[in-house]
Amino acid sequence: MTRRVARRLADLVVVFLGVTLIIHLMVFALPGDPIAALGGDRPLAPNVVAELRERYHLDEPVLQQYLRYLGGLLQGDLGTTFQGQSVADRMALRWPVTITLALTAWGIEVLLGVLLGLVAGLRAGAVSDRLILAGTVVATSIPVFVLAVSAQLWLGARLSWFPVAGTGEGWPTAYLLPAAVIAVFGLASVARLMRGSVVDTLRTDYVRTLRAKGLRERQVVGVHVMRSSAIPVLTFLAIDLGYLLGGTVVVEGVFNLPGVGQLLFQAIRAHEGPTIVGVSTALIVVFLLTNLLVDLLASVLDPRIRHE
Amino acid sequence: MNPRQRRLTGTAAALALAVGLSACGASAGAGDDDAASGGSISVAVTDPIQTVPARQTVAYDLNMAVWSPLTWVDADGELSYLAAESIESDDATTWTVTLRDGWTFHDGTPVTAQSYVDTWNAVAYGPDAYENSGQLAGIAGYDDLNPAKGEPKTTEMSGLEVTGDLTFTVTLDGPDGQFPLQVSQGQTAMYPMPASALEDMDAYNTHPVGNGPFAVTGDYVENEPIETESYTDYQGPEPTVDSITFVPYTDTTTAYTDVQAGNIDVASVPAARLPQASADFGERLYTFEAAGISYLGLPLWDERYQDVRVRHAISMAIDRETINEVVYGGLFTPATAFTPAVEAGTPEGICGEFCEYDPEAAQALLDEAGGFDGTIDIYYPGGNGLDELYKAIANQLRQNLGVEAVATPSSDWAEFSETRTNGDIDGPFFSRWGALYPSQQNTLRSFYVEGGGCPNCIPYYEEDVANLIAGADAEADPEAAAEAYAAVQERIFEDFPAPPLFFETYSYVTSERVAELPTSAVGNPTFTAVVLAEGA
Repeated sequence: MTRRVARRLADLVVVFLGVTLIIHLMVFALPGDPIAALGGDRPLAPNVVAELRERYHLDEPVLQQYLRYLGGLLQGDLGTTFQGQSVADRMALRWPVTITLALTAWGIEVLLGVLLGLVAGLRAGAVSDRLILAGTVVATSIPVFVLAVSAQLWLGARLSWFPVAGTGEGWPTAYLLPAAVIAVFGLASVARLMRGSVVDTLRTDYVRTLRAKGLRERQVVGVHVMRSSAIPVLTFLAIDLGYLLGGTVVVEGVFNLPGVGQLLFQAIRAHEGPTIVGVSTALIVVFLLTNLLVDLLASVLDPRIRHE
Repeated sequence: MNPRQRRLTGTAAALALAVGLSACGASAGAGDDDAASGGSISVAVTDPIQTVPARQTVAYDLNMAVWSPLTWVDADGELSYLAAESIESDDATTWTVTLRDGWTFHDGTPVTAQSYVDTWNAVAYGPDAYENSGQLAGIAGYDDLNPAKGEPKTTEMSGLEVTGDLTFTVTLDGPDGQFPLQVSQGQTAMYPMPASALEDMDAYNTHPVGNGPFAVTGDYVENEPIETESYTDYQGPEPTVDSITFVPYTDTTTAYTDVQAGNIDVASVPAARLPQASADFGERLYTFEAAGISYLGLPLWDERYQDVRVRHAISMAIDRETINEVVYGGLFTPATAFTPAVEAGTPEGICGEFCEYDPEAAQALLDEAGGFDGTIDIYYPGGNGLDELYKAIANQLRQNLGVEAVATPSSDWAEFSETRTNGDIDGPFFSRWGALYPSQQNTLRSFYVEGGGCPNCIPYYEEDVANLIAGADAEADPEAAAEAYAAVQERIFEDFPAPPLFFETYSYVTSERVAELPTSAVGNPTFTAVVLAEGA
């Protein structure tokens, strides 16, 4: 077990180096001079541009910039933005927002998804099952942007049930609506998975035995069916948490939530290499770590995987 | 600028907030219960990151609340003195600035002539690369602080001299009668900073200390609302509200929706919402004349655009009225001159028939010039809400001139800027300028003087035009100067290098708490003179 974890962590380092290099090259390949564009259509004076290019080492070859970045990284320095702020500070400021948002969305997914899936599975073929199927299909097919803006306009501005934007009202009020919008997509998958799982489990011999024994239906479903149906859903949910943390760019923008997704978006628009590399690498590391955790979790839950 | 955003128009469009001088303050103030009782207002802004006047590019709103400029230009283009008591010169080259007595920074230290001179020297110091340092380029000695190579040998500009506690002289590189306008509210690099700022600029950015009507109460934290309160020792006109909160938004559309919901009091209208703003807000939509003008830049290096008749034809084939209705909800003004109408002395109508829609005459002119070979390929910066405008222009050129025309966006501003500067374009392109001070000088220099501010906005650099502009600069009398600048436009009209499109406006929407939103010559709301609704 320990050896496996160590090997996976070693893989992480390789992936990390590769990803940072690729992103560096991509940022470098973007057309246009980010410093010249800093002032928008009111250009900065040429000497200011020259000075800033030198200050942020944009006049160096890309590999030298990359090595400089890695060198800084070894000393715990994630670099600075074109306005001279520390990238690490900016990320530290924004991670809590994204994590809160992702966890809230995840919570909604778990609760509603499992519940809907359970209902659909228990009543497979009935009207409620079909309604849930239709509902989840429709919800998943609406683009996230459209869903976000409509939810904001109707539930936020018109009905005033939720704040329109910002984190001013704190958790949970400020996070519920954006989290629900993100959750809709994972929700559909969770519900479908859960439904399939429940249907399968209900057909198993041991459930029949339990019923034959005269166990109350509530206990059959609540304890036995739920437990064995949960394994595939749990795996999915764990991976999805990684997606949620990285997939909040659009929703953070629409709802004006100052999270890392928004930071990444702004940085890409400004061609701000250190921020882009820092944020996207962090997102990838988070994703890799959740994957690792899922693997470990799976082997704990299912002994067959352990001896592979 | 969207962030955005950096929002493109954010940089250009943003001027704002200020000290409610004169008329507005008086009409709202005297004997008025609302004004006396104060109140608070919240304003949607782009997150400044840089709050320091010499460095900010999107924090005009905040800057104009926290600092006071030497001079103020109101919505009618009238110049008055604010932090300065007078700014005078005999020869338009050496100016004597006399400050008002008794003014203090928010930390209690007095605002003196030395404060201004020290600030300006620090801002102009090349190696510090302050983003707005170019605003000081006209002062003698600026070049010494910004040598082409190596470190500057001095830290002071030869053109600045303190002559008393409250007086200093500014010597310019050459005569420039527009100097008093150049120290008005939009030119934030001219704002004074206290001695503590010059010692630690990072700390100053976190806690800005100005000389204006509002003091920042806490520390600035990225993406957090910035709270300001009226400064009790402020010597200028008393603001009509007690506090202003600046709330950062990355998406201006979100801010707009938030005003609809009544969660925030004022937001600027994003391009995508202009057509519906009037229906959404009715009388709570304010549209202010701004010192911005857009052109359709033409690639004068391409031989197909050499014939002036081709340029006239393109201009006359564009139906500015219809585009204004469809794209801008009728809120812009079709351009009739080469500088924005708000700039004093602009000869409105000088463009005449060539700025009026006449598809038949356009076609006839193009035929007369021998037609057009190939495609008119319009190039503009993508991701900035400009798509509708340029697609509409391309459609009209195609329909009215019988020439294939397409509009292609760049991936972002940086790419557009580089492609345009390198001249790798063979079709019309995005070209606009928002002046930071409302003088024909600023717009004409940017478009028609090499190195004047907007590289390759058109580019059309003729020696005699540059000389005419320099001649107008030398006029000390404002009216004579305005006439001289108008004469420059007559000369430009002869060559018609590129069709002017629109005089720009900035539009704002307010919540029901706001009864009246005043403005100034820079086209942004003057939040310090805002009138709140009763009971708000």
